[in-house]
Amino acid sequence: LASLPSVKMAILKRRRAVGGSPVPRPTASPVSEAELLARSGVRGILREAVLKLLEARPEEPSAFLADYFEKLGQDLAEGAAPHSDHGSYLLGQQRLGRAMWYLRLAHHSQRTAFNNNLSMAYNCLSAGGRKKKPGLNGKSYSEVLRRICREGDLSEDISSVLLKKIQCRDHEAVPFDVFRYGVLTCFVLLEFMSKAEILFRSLDFHEQPDRSLCQAVLGTLEEALVASDISVPASYLEAGSKLGPDCLAVVMDRALLRKDAGVSMTLQEFLQEASALFLHKVKPVL
Amino acid sequence: MDPESVPCTIKLPVPLQVGDVKTDQARPGVYVIDVTFPKSQDVDVSEISFKNYYTAFLTVRIQQQRRPSDPRGNPPAWRTCIKSQRLMPNPHMEDGSQDYVSLRKSQMICGTDHVTAIRLILRQPSPVWLNFTLEDLQINPSGKQSPQKGFSWLLSQLPPKEQLQSLHKGLPDPNKVSSEVQQMWALTEVMKANQSTATIGRFDSGCATQVANERILSRT
Repeated sequence: LASLPSVKMAILKRRRAVGGSPVPRPTASPVSEAELLARSGVRGILREAVLKLLEARPEEPSAFLADYFEKLGQDLAEGAAPHSDHGSYLLGQQRLGRAMWYLRLAHHSQRTAFNNNLSMAYNCLSAGGRKKKPGLNGKSYSEVLRRICREGDLSEDISSVLLKKIQCRDHEAVPFDVFRYGVLTCFVLLEFMSKAEILFRSLDFHEQPDRSLCQAVLGTLEEALVASDISVPASYLEAGSKLGPDCLAVVMDRALLRKDAGVSMTLQEFLQEASALFLHKVKPVL
Repeated sequence: MDPESVPCTIKLPVPLQVGDVKTDQARPGVYVIDVTFPKSQDVDVSEISFKNYYTAFLTVRIQQQRRPSDPRGNPPAWRTCIKSQRLMPNPHMEDGSQDYVSLRKSQMICGTDHVTAIRLILRQPSPVWLNFTLEDLQINPSGKQSPQKGFSWLLSQLPPKEQLQSLHKGLPDPNKVSSEVQQMWALTEVMKANQSTATIGRFDSGCATQVANERILSRT
């Protein structure tokens, strides 16, 4: 007889320890809506989400918010308070996941937002923990780069050339500037590759585009890249004029005239050659 | 500093004074400012500009690179290119005391090509002013390509209309191709513009390449 109330007590105690049941108990006086929002902290959560949304200006806001709240939910489930101390007691994989989430939040052309997220990711990765000394090491940095490349479906041979240039050795300490350059370069290369694919499709007016045509267009791009020099502003005009529709039309016409009949180029070859132009300009990390 | 001006070393003004500089009550009436160019390069001077600070008269002398006809041995002679240019109409009055002044090539009395050193001689006969000097001194070189010239060159590079009309009919759409290629170019420039100067301080990478090179050499 005495056992029943004690079980009830135990359940009640556990509920209190967990911090309240999901359904709020009816209280004596009815709570106004404003008070409810204030008590639950919803207002702060929503404001944070809207701020992130404004920062990133994504094309599809609802998908962005869904992703945001999903991540927030995961964080709560893992028991880490978001935005409190950048997850100082997160494990390696969780840190990495969190950092990747920050990096994906805004496109790199949203410069302020992207830079903010970069430093959040950097702090998250380099926070000290129980077993980890503070600071970002080359191992986590290279892992972040690898993940960005993998998620962007970058082919293995292109990404390995890129990583060889910008990744660090496992034990090396990575300063923020290097981290920023490495991550940005990965994202920019992914976009470069998607543009190259669209370019290939627009050259492809039969089944497969002509090889000499492809090489002529890429050669023109290479000329422009070599010609443009940041210290000589006029060189950008010159390089830009080379890439105008008129000049490109002439170049393509010339290429078609001396075409080697039937020699075509596959998308893979084209992407490989295009990526080489970009990768050639990547400054290796020393 | 003006982006067009030549990098140069402007030495501190040296007073010309009779007697001891520290104890003598009389203030100097002449200062000399020397200007030298780095790495003993020579400059074709087209303009000297500065902001005056209570200098009444200015003389500019230049040293030019030795010509083959010059006698050997002696250092190149100093030549006067501006002689006692009046900067203040009345040395005792404020007029012109803080004007911005620009001395052009046409005002100079000798040629100013291949200049290796410039000496500015500042004079202020009036004892009214505590100090006098020149500020924001800039030496502007000649031989700058005018931007318009560059533009006309660019325009002449564009293909003429007749050539465009006689193009192959089966070409891919040049507008679309151009837009994609330009975006690829812009992305590469974004990456280049963000290159960091920070390093992670690897000491061994230089050695590694050297070793690799030596290996290649020994193989061949």
